[in-house]
Amino acid sequence: MKINRHKFHCFTLLISLMASAYTFAQRGAPPVPPQTPREAALIDLTGVWVSVISEDWRWRMLTPLRGDFANIPLNAEGKRVGMAWDPEQDRAFGLECKAYGAANLMRVPGRLEISWEDDQTLAIRTDAGNQTRRLHFNESTMPSEPQSLQGYSMANWEKPLGTGDGSFTPPFFGARVGTAPRSLEVSTSNLTGGYLRKNGVPYSDQTTVQEFFDYHVLPNGEEWFTVTTIVRDPVYLRTAYITSTDFKKQNDMSGWNPSPCSAE
Amino acid sequence: MKKLTVLITLIFFSLSAFAQMDFSGEWAPVYHEDAADRIPGPELGDYMGLPLNSAALLRAQSWEAGQISLMQNQCRPHSSDYGMRGLGNMRVTRDLDDAQEWVAFKTFIAAWGSERTIWMDGREHPPEYAEYTFQGFSSAVWEGNTLVVTTTHQKANYHRRNGVPSSDQRIITEYWTRHGDVLTVVTAVDDPVFFTEPLVRSQNWVLDLGQQQSSFYCEYVGELPELVDGKVPHYLPGENPYLDEIATTYGIPIEVLSGGAEKMYPEYQLVMPEAESSPLMCTVLCNCQGFADC
Repeated sequence: MKINRHKFHCFTLLISLMASAYTFAQRGAPPVPPQTPREAALIDLTGVWVSVISEDWRWRMLTPLRGDFANIPLNAEGKRVGMAWDPEQDRAFGLECKAYGAANLMRVPGRLEISWEDDQTLAIRTDAGNQTRRLHFNESTMPSEPQSLQGYSMANWEKPLGTGDGSFTPPFFGARVGTAPRSLEVSTSNLTGGYLRKNGVPYSDQTTVQEFFDYHVLPNGEEWFTVTTIVRDPVYLRTAYITSTDFKKQNDMSGWNPSPCSAE
Repeated sequence: MKKLTVLITLIFFSLSAFAQMDFSGEWAPVYHEDAADRIPGPELGDYMGLPLNSAALLRAQSWEAGQISLMQNQCRPHSSDYGMRGLGNMRVTRDLDDAQEWVAFKTFIAAWGSERTIWMDGREHPPEYAEYTFQGFSSAVWEGNTLVVTTTHQKANYHRRNGVPSSDQRIITEYWTRHGDVLTVVTAVDDPVFFTEPLVRSQNWVLDLGQQQSSFYCEYVGELPELVDGKVPHYLPGENPYLDEIATTYGIPIEVLSGGAEKMYPEYQLVMPEAESSPLMCTVLCNCQGFADC
């Protein structure tokens, strides 16, 4: 095959024009108002969900025995405090909700109702313990608030994988696959202490919770989400405590059973 | 001419240079859920959290631990579905072809030296009459940055290694998602022979760059002298004396031990009976969460 100098220049000109057109399209397009987090949602978590207890059954459906710390990387101080668990005292002081804080709430068997309170705030209500978590989007700093059972949760949709914001695809490059983000990321702090388990396994007020919500549709059409939860507590844990908890979508509110916190 | 050739070559080769979520590396399992079940092994009679039907329960309750000592069972590996939940220190590698296309990735799990190939080149699953293996046939597609893996053609084996049977008709769907150095794999097992509904669970690993897995070997030896003449250890229905032990040890109502889908939903707490007896405190496997503690 013989290609002369003229054809070569034509070819490179074509490449340049396509690249320029691409760049112009990027720069010349009218400004698009930024989407709200609600509009930009990567997955739809709204609706009613039930926790299906296929893991840690006897630690979640029952109140385990005193001193049953299995599965949780407690340090010596955590075990000491855990052994001193006194549900009667918790009741007496109105602390029945200590196992319903943000570090453990998603592990408590029950149903969730997830909805947008406004364009920036996703709310998770639970029937077990009548708790509400609010996930605040687009906030880089935490407002000054007193510590609370649910703490303060900052949320964002997962960023695209790789360099940049993922919006740039050079001419002649194929679409990147296996990189499109799908997760909701949540960071929670400003917590009061509480329990990682009903039998008094403690977490401290220095605890932070990192969560990733991922949505899946099973081959049978059922919708599920899994929340991977990483609890870090420099006071009572030796290492990060990592669990993943699975929820199945419900058609309606039947089965919703609001119930107060219980200390045991 | 040379320049043009180089240019065209670069352009066309770049078309296949896709970037994808990469699961390659050494992964250490996190045993912060069901550690006692997964490391030392489940208690006898513990079927909690499994959507068993009556056939599965009958098989499980007639199981006798001596079955592990049968010659044909001594070196039986975990299937790929159980392996992801059991003793799962895992290495993941990518298989790229000459065009740098991602053809498959492979998993190696030290327990039983189990290797699995997960095909990503769009090939079809084999016909039903094809060979069934412990690792089965796995293929995968991307949903965003989640890898969805479908596995068929697994031999009949076990869902829990205290005798809960799994059938060779089960289909496993896995959802692999990586968040930084944490890998979460959600596993949905549809076993039409032994389950009344899919079993959905999720496992976590952390990236462990220093992990060095060892090779695995297994030899057959005569472990129990009474296992002669083809005898298979078992209990006849209603004669297994060990099914309630776990209830006494941990203060669990006997009724809940048999599992079943209805007991996997929160509303079961409303009708769950009280434990028949309960010790004052935990005395067995109370700190189990890793090899050193269980």
